[in-house]
Amino acid sequence: MTGTNPSSIEVTHPAPNRMHMKMLSHPATLAPMRVAFEAFTERAGFNHADRGQIILVVNEALANVMRHAYNGATDKPIELSAEDTGDSIRIDIRDWGNGKAPQPSHKHDPETPGGLGMVCLKQFMTQITFKPERDGMTLTMIRNKREMQ
Amino acid sequence: MTDLKPTSDLVSSARQDGTVVIAAIRGEIDLHNSPGLRTDLLDMITKASPKKLVLNLGDVPYMDSSAIAVLVESLQRIRKLGGKIFLTNLQPRVKGLLEIARLDAIFGVTATEAEAIAK
Repeated sequence: MTGTNPSSIEVTHPAPNRMHMKMLSHPATLAPMRVAFEAFTERAGFNHADRGQIILVVNEALANVMRHAYNGATDKPIELSAEDTGDSIRIDIRDWGNGKAPQPSHKHDPETPGGLGMVCLKQFMTQITFKPERDGMTLTMIRNKREMQ
Repeated sequence: MTDLKPTSDLVSSARQDGTVVIAAIRGEIDLHNSPGLRTDLLDMITKASPKKLVLNLGDVPYMDSSAIAVLVESLQRIRKLGGKIFLTNLQPRVKGLLEIARLDAIFGVTATEAEAIAK
């Protein structure tokens, strides 16, 4: 993450069932993030379709941080942690942006840009919580393993 | 038949046959590279003024909401010319996203390029 390559991410596994990522708010980090998450969710036992949903949600959540919390700045920190708890997967995304939670759209208009990310979060996650921090936001998402399979 | 010259790495080929433009898209599309795809698609529509734009997504394993926004903007642009966009050869994850975005009914979705061209 500290190099000149904006797409580099730092991935560690504090325990076999846990993954931690540090990255910059650069959109080029999304592709390597997806690769790391594909492997983690496969180890956690999710099938191809469910992995696709989880990766899409994490991608959209990170894109929201980049676009809105950091207003497009590409050099800000983001930390992501994921844990396989046995019955579910828990994902925490921490940013140090403007601390504003995205407003849920009441009705998604397919031909109007925006809002699709929140639709995906609500549809594919069992539980989502935006927790304002003193200096940013933590988004916690939980996806039960037995849902939608 | 005319070859169009896309600038984005995502558009692996593009050709015009009469009022139909057929483009093959390749790779994952996200917030990082969707602006390049937007440039290419809007350029194609502006330069070729097609009545039908067929996008073969067979080599697109993943796309996110930024890609959806590009497709919708392209659709709105081509509609002004009386045209339509067809999406073909969808992979499961892309098909799933189009369904949740409720765009599968707004675009023409077909299994193959040939079906899209014949419609």
